[in-house]
Amino acid sequence: MNAQPRHNVVANALAQIGACGLFLLTILAAVPRSFRHGRETVRQLWFVGAMSLTIIMVCGLFVGMVLGLQLYYVLSIFGGTAASGTVVAIAIYRELGPVVTALLFAGRAGTSVTAEIGLMRATDQIAAMEMMAVDPIAYVAAPRFLAGLIAMPLLCCVFCALGIFGGHLVGVTWLGIDNGTFWSNMTATVDVWKDVVNGVLYKSLAFGAVVSLIAVYQGYTTPPTSEGVAYATTRTVVASSIAILALDFVLTAFLM
Amino acid sequence: MSQRNSYAVGTGLFIVLGFAALAYLATQTTSVANSRQGRSYTVEAHFANIGQLKERAPVKVAGVRVGQVQSIALDPAREAADVKLSIDQRYSKIPVDSVATIYTSGLLGDQYVGIQYGSSAKSVADGGTLALTRPAQQLEEMLGKFFGAGGSADNLGGTYLLKARFTNVGALSAGAPVKMAGVAIGSVQSVQADPVKLDALVTLAIDKKYGQIPDDSAAAVFTSGLIGTQYVAIQPGGSPEPLKDGDEMVLTQSAMQLEDLIGKFLVNGSPGDKKPGEGSSSTPPAGKQ
Repeated sequence: MNAQPRHNVVANALAQIGACGLFLLTILAAVPRSFRHGRETVRQLWFVGAMSLTIIMVCGLFVGMVLGLQLYYVLSIFGGTAASGTVVAIAIYRELGPVVTALLFAGRAGTSVTAEIGLMRATDQIAAMEMMAVDPIAYVAAPRFLAGLIAMPLLCCVFCALGIFGGHLVGVTWLGIDNGTFWSNMTATVDVWKDVVNGVLYKSLAFGAVVSLIAVYQGYTTPPTSEGVAYATTRTVVASSIAILALDFVLTAFLM
Repeated sequence: MSQRNSYAVGTGLFIVLGFAALAYLATQTTSVANSRQGRSYTVEAHFANIGQLKERAPVKVAGVRVGQVQSIALDPAREAADVKLSIDQRYSKIPVDSVATIYTSGLLGDQYVGIQYGSSAKSVADGGTLALTRPAQQLEEMLGKFFGAGGSADNLGGTYLLKARFTNVGALSAGAPVKMAGVAIGSVQSVQADPVKLDALVTLAIDKKYGQIPDDSAAAVFTSGLIGTQYVAIQPGGSPEPLKDGDEMVLTQSAMQLEDLIGKFLVNGSPGDKKPGEGSSSTPPAGKQ
C-alpha cells in the first residue's frame, strides 16, 4: 500500500533523468545540423551571454568585495592579512566563480530559455516547424544548448576578474594591505592549471552544459499550458541549483 | 539587418571580453606571471632535507630572484634530495664553492633556495653541482625551544590567590593558565590596570596542592606556540618561605614581543655559521618528526 507511491516517485525520478540523458544525446546528434543555423546560435549567445554580463559583473564585484572584507577580518586575527590576495583568488577560482556564475546563469538565462521554448511548445510553434520540415531540435534546442555551453566559461572568467578587482579594491585601496604583497602572494601561490583551468574552465563548462541541458529539456517537454510553462521554469531553477552544487562536489573531488 | 548587426556586435564584444578576462586571470594572477625568464642554465644541489620546498620556488642571491627550482627528486643512491635549479643565463658567474641554503620567507611563507657566493674564481658550469648546501631549518624546532605547551590545572582542591605586577601583559587575559615547569598549576583570575602605579595587576588562582612556592619565585608572561595564547610561568626561587594566600610576587618579567624574539633569532641564525670548505652538506638529515 505504502510501497507503491514511493516506487512511483523513484521510477519518475529515474525516468526524468533517463529522458534528460536521451535528450542530451538527441541534441548532440543534432549539433552538426544546427551549424546551418549558425546565425541563430549567435543570437542565442548574445541573449544568454552578452545580456547576462551586467548581473554577472555586478555580482562578481560584490562577491570579491565581501571576500576582501571578511578575509581581512579573519586573517587580521592571525596577523596574516598579507595572504588575503591568495585566498581571494583561490576561493574565487576554485569555488565561488564557477558556482555563483552558474547559479546566476540558471536564474537569468536558464529560466528565459525554458519559458521561451515552453511558450513555443504551448503555442504550437514547434509543431509548425515539424510540419515545415524544420528540425526543432536542430533549430531551437541545439543552438540554445551550444550558446549556454560557450557563454558559461566566458561569463565565469568575467566574474572572476571582477571578483579579484573587488577583493583588491577593498583589501588594498580601502583597508591598506600592501599592493605588492597582495599581488606577489597571489601570483606565487595560484597555479594556472590547478586553479584557473581546473577551477574556472572545466567547472564552468560542466555547469554550462548542465544548466543549458536542464533549461532546454524542461522547456521542450513542458505541458503546453500556461501552468505547465510556469512549473517548468521553476523546475529549471530548482533542478539546476541542485545539479550545480552536487556536481560541484564531484568535480572538486576529481579536479582537486 | 540592422538588428542582426546589433546583436552580432554585442556577442562579439562579449566573447572578446570573456577571453580577455581569461587571459588576464591566467597570466597576471597566477604563477605564470613569475615564470617569465630568459635563457637559463641548470645547476644541481643535494640537500639533506628540503622541508616544504616546491618546484618553481624562487632561487635568490642576496635576496634577488635569479631563477627557480626546476625539479626535486630523491637521490636513489643516498638519503638526499636532488634539487635542480634553473638559473638565469645573466647570472652565470656563481662560484663553485657557493653555499645553497633553503630558507623560509616570512614566518609562514614559502621556502626558497638562497645562494651565498663563495670565494672561488671558478664559476659553476651548466649542469654542474653546488657541493655546499645547508638543509631546511625546521622553524618548529627553533621556536619549540622557546615556548612550552598548553594544558590547564584542575581546581578540585581549591585555590589560593597570588598577585603579580607586570609592566606589560601582552595579550594575557583572565582564564589563561599559570604554569610551573611547564605544568599548569592554576589560572589567571583577573587582569587589571592599576590606576596609581600605572602597571598591570594580575591575580593568579593557584591550586592549593602547590602551596610550597618559594616567596622569591618569579612570574613571567610567556606565549605558547607561534600564534598561541599567553600564559603566566612561575620560576621557583630558593627561599625557604612559601608564598601565602594574597601575597604579591615581587619578581616579574613582562610579556616578550614575539616580533623582537624572532627578529633576534633570524638575525643570529642566518648564513655564515658554516663556512665554505668545511665539507659538503655536513649537517645530518634533521629528522622531521
